[in-house]
Amino acid sequence: MRKLGFLLLALVLLTFAVSGCGSSNELKIGVSAPLTGDISALGQSTKNAALLAQEEINAAGGIKIGDKSYPVKFIIEDDENKPESTATVFQKLINQDKVLAIIGSQSSKCSNAGAPIAESAKIPQISPWSTNPNVTKDRSYVFRACFIDPFQGKVVASFAKDKLKAKTAAVLYDVASDYNKGIAEVFRDEFIKAGGQIVAFETYMTKDTDFSAQLTKIKGTNPDMLFLPNYFNEVPLQVQQAQKLGLTAKIVGSDGWDNPELLKMGGPAMEGTYFTNHYSPDSDRPASKDFIAKYQKKYNMMPDAAAALTYDAAYLLFQAIEKAGKVDPAAIRDAIATTKDFSGVTGDITYNGSGDPVKGSVIIKIENGKFVFDSAVNP
Amino acid sequence: MEIIIQQLLNAAQLGAVYSLIALGYTMVYGVLRLINFAHGDIFMVGAFIGFMLATTLNMPLVLMMPLTMLLTALVGVAIERVAYRKLRDAQRVSLVITALGVGIFLENFVRIVVGPQTRQLPAQLPDSVLKFGSGLIITEDKIWIILISLALMIILWLFVQKTLMGTAMRAVADNSEVIPLMGINLNRVIAVTFAIGSALAAAGGVFYGQAYSIDPYMGIDLGWKAFIAAVIGGIGSIEGAVLGSFMLAGVEVFTVAYLSSNLKNGIAFGLLILLLLIWPSGIMGKPLLKKV
Repeated sequence: MRKLGFLLLALVLLTFAVSGCGSSNELKIGVSAPLTGDISALGQSTKNAALLAQEEINAAGGIKIGDKSYPVKFIIEDDENKPESTATVFQKLINQDKVLAIIGSQSSKCSNAGAPIAESAKIPQISPWSTNPNVTKDRSYVFRACFIDPFQGKVVASFAKDKLKAKTAAVLYDVASDYNKGIAEVFRDEFIKAGGQIVAFETYMTKDTDFSAQLTKIKGTNPDMLFLPNYFNEVPLQVQQAQKLGLTAKIVGSDGWDNPELLKMGGPAMEGTYFTNHYSPDSDRPASKDFIAKYQKKYNMMPDAAAALTYDAAYLLFQAIEKAGKVDPAAIRDAIATTKDFSGVTGDITYNGSGDPVKGSVIIKIENGKFVFDSAVNP
Repeated sequence: MEIIIQQLLNAAQLGAVYSLIALGYTMVYGVLRLINFAHGDIFMVGAFIGFMLATTLNMPLVLMMPLTMLLTALVGVAIERVAYRKLRDAQRVSLVITALGVGIFLENFVRIVVGPQTRQLPAQLPDSVLKFGSGLIITEDKIWIILISLALMIILWLFVQKTLMGTAMRAVADNSEVIPLMGINLNRVIAVTFAIGSALAAAGGVFYGQAYSIDPYMGIDLGWKAFIAAVIGGIGSIEGAVLGSFMLAGVEVFTVAYLSSNLKNGIAFGLLILLLLIWPSGIMGKPLLKKV
């Protein structure tokens, strides 16, 4: 029995030793995505979008560098939407897989955990969906494909004041997550600056599912609107519980809402709510229409904004590698930083010296179980 | 005033779910002196069995609930039979590590079989909205969850106090070494304990999925909370587990209501430490007597 145990152990170790090998002339790009864990539905759409981009570029012959074309290989790793796992994934991608660049992660808390590793290894990182300003701050190798929360918070505050005519607002947010906390604070400041009043500013912790105590307290303050800058896996519960407690405030959210799961879980409770987003699925932008059609054909479901942004990040990177003209992370970084008017699915992307593109946002209304375009705001 | 009543009901609903889990911890500890760290995950398995029965077989609650409890009880008994029984006389720490391992296995098993997404059980309890006075709004499902949970706890109490098997369980809790000498089948008593504990956790899981949401990792945090509730009440004591659960839920809800939602866990667990300093064996626990 004991001998068998040792034999098994040796076998396992051997498997690990062997599996590290293998090489070719492919361009390896790492993707760090929350394939499991609380926002796994979004991790799946990230993976879908990356694989779609990979399939397309390789069908077109790969990326041309000089007079030679190289196929692209995405190495997609699961960061579980946990900062500590993201750090491990980044280390593995950089040190073991020797990737040229990394796309990811999605939530800000994870991108923030990976960014110092990419920065110190001088490997370009593009986060598709992380909107918290700290992700790219004081870093030269870290970029994002989306707008940032100070802008998004401003958009929500002026929408609440001007469109919803809200004078008082309550906020309920996850205090343990960079994204939620950052945007909640920006909204609070902007709403007060615009002459509004914040009557409740309540928190919870990631993975909480009972929000009734906070919502009951909010109900006691009778706000005109309730702002929920949280992820799609928690928002439906918050909205349902708010309605069950008799809260009648208008409910508004942020880009963390955008995933089909929101409608699947929330159902009729989500009707009449609004949220800010990176693009609208019913947009008439040709690049958006084209992407949505291809994604739907391949996966038989609507892409979320994270998928669209991942696709944009992938092509941004493909373009930069071609422009750099050599397989060299530093040259690729310079090529990304000088990108001008890249026409993406979610809008035009230009970098002006920082890792944050200048981009507009849209407001989506949920109507008849669908995301419907309401209005667009440009910076 | 309406707000206070509403918060009391919020606390009662949460406390009812905590109780249903905490009872399993306390009962298993009673007969085996084992802190069954897989128990939170048995609660999760119960929630998912309920979810499967309600969604794929469209089973109504009156059928789904007992069947879920039965199936989860079988899972609990199987875990005891396969993973714990052989280790019963081994060092306590081996058993605790095995329990942790079983928990991690259950989480990953469910994640692979059903997927990692957050889900909700279809709303099957009547959920008409009842309005009282100027602003008190109560949905009926909340009342049902509290009442059915209390009924289950009363049935458990009667079972333990009035039946022969219940008496045997109490006897094992008192002194498991002499029990076989009395002609009581120890294995059977332990199996029944696991079955009851798991069935109650399953009921908690079904209610939790109705009131909140479920995912394969839900058992970790809730398991800890319920375990802590059982410890506050006095682990090994059935009344203590219920008392501890409602206390913990009450402190959590009222900290949010009148202090700050930021302090919820800090205050709840600070209070736990304070209570344990006053009553080292929990409020209703028996002080441990070392035999010389």
